[in-house]
Amino acid sequence: MGAWLRNNWISITTVFVLALAWEIGGHLAPTSPLREAPIVPPWEYVFGPALIGMSDYWKIQLFAPVPELGGARTYFGALLAMGYHSALTLFRVSAGLALGALIGVGLGLVISVSEVTRRMVATPLHIIRMCPLLAMIPLFQFWLGATNWSAICYVAYGVGVVYFVGTLNAVANMPRHYIETAQTLGASQLLIYWRVILPAIMPELFSSVFLTLGLAWSAVIGAEYVGVESGIGRMIIWAEFFSHTGRMVLVTIFIVLYSTLSWVVMRSIAMRILAWMPKAHGQINPLS
Amino acid sequence: MSGLPIRIEHVSCSFTHASGTVVEALTDVSLDIAPGEFVCLLGRSGHGKSTLLRSLAGLNPLTSGRITVGGAAIEGPSAERGMVFQEDTVFPWMRVQENVEFGQRAQGQPPVKRALSARHWISAVGLDGFAHSWPKELSGGMRKRVAIATVFASGAPILLMDEPFGSLDYVTRMDLQNLLIDLWTRTRRTIVFVTHDIEEALVLAQRIVVLDRGRVVDDLPVRLAQPRDEEVRAQPEALAITKTVLRHLGLARPGRPAAAA
Repeated sequence: MGAWLRNNWISITTVFVLALAWEIGGHLAPTSPLREAPIVPPWEYVFGPALIGMSDYWKIQLFAPVPELGGARTYFGALLAMGYHSALTLFRVSAGLALGALIGVGLGLVISVSEVTRRMVATPLHIIRMCPLLAMIPLFQFWLGATNWSAICYVAYGVGVVYFVGTLNAVANMPRHYIETAQTLGASQLLIYWRVILPAIMPELFSSVFLTLGLAWSAVIGAEYVGVESGIGRMIIWAEFFSHTGRMVLVTIFIVLYSTLSWVVMRSIAMRILAWMPKAHGQINPLS
Repeated sequence: MSGLPIRIEHVSCSFTHASGTVVEALTDVSLDIAPGEFVCLLGRSGHGKSTLLRSLAGLNPLTSGRITVGGAAIEGPSAERGMVFQEDTVFPWMRVQENVEFGQRAQGQPPVKRALSARHWISAVGLDGFAHSWPKELSGGMRKRVAIATVFASGAPILLMDEPFGSLDYVTRMDLQNLLIDLWTRTRRTIVFVTHDIEEALVLAQRIVVLDRGRVVDDLPVRLAQPRDEEVRAQPEALAITKTVLRHLGLARPGRPAAAA
């Protein structure tokens, strides 16, 4: 712990100073004439009135009173509401990521079998990559409705393109002599894909994983923001209706926590799967 | 599995570069290699040694001619012709034992059998105690030992080696040459070994085939006793072979009658 503090005191101090600046800004900035919401909510407001106010979004008459029906606002109700909507969003992110990775990598592997198929997909792929992701939300919701499924498909589409491109490049760049060695040992095409190509491209795939984590969170929040009537992104919209600045900040903090957590989890998975990699390859550690 | 004669018949092979230039890598090469022979292909770099070896492996399409192994024309890579490359080809994502098992796994051998055989070959190349190491934990020479164990464990009667020790230091290279001779003496697999190093060829080969500009220009039997230490290599017969090869490489000293042999 001492060593950790010694190595990181500069960044810790910076974060502390920034939080302090926000607090001072919160006290200097005027409150909005609308419902007297502070324009820059100070911390004691965010974790006080704003946090307990989240219980407004608890709609089930169970475990905690429902403010909508005249019940009291409680911290427990606030946590329940946050938990419920966080769980929904978390489910959409993970399902979308898993689906996108599976389809993206699978398609990438299939397409990289031959030069002809690689050329076939090159131009359409370029067009798809250039489509602005957020602009596709209305289209997805038109096709699939403002549902869980639509949000998952949208996230899967957003990250799937990245995995697809990543897989194509990784296979194209992997050393040929690994494949040739496997061939002269009598390996079938299937065994080569499973035990040679897939492991060989794993380090590059994990770069895609870290790239898509942030993307997936943006995509799911975007989908909830625009249409899907639940989830943590939707809470920002509800807060916005009544200028609840504190609640918006609170939800943002939670999103930051979740994406950091998902990053940490992915990193530990990556370190386990890539245990074979020589240390010199620092490409899986974008944080340090 | 041993006992497959290799017959190379009028093989030619040319490549077209992206710039449009056509390079003839092999021109009308014919060669017979008997089962159990240790043959070194020697020549300048870019004169067709590797192309010939890759053609034998089935990794390289021929422009004309054909290669048969045990009477059957080769149609691509196969488990009967294992290859060791100059590059580090040990799979870094598999532990040593899994690497050595890979050939047998590809041939559908049951796990117990291939583990036993892997242990045997790991031991045979002197890597006892490293079965569960990652390749990154081994030195370059040890990884070459893994590659050799892998190709022997696969059971291939024909082993093709493309300058496998080219990237190693002098001492490690001599260790591995001795190891290879030892394994060859015990198993009598057919080994076709590409090298540009005359000394290496003298240490290893029963027969040296010299390639020049894609053609076989000489085929020299090496009747020296094993082990071929520096004293054996200083015998007149060895010196004669060296002189002949140097002449083929265009390196004979001027002003002297080349090749007394």
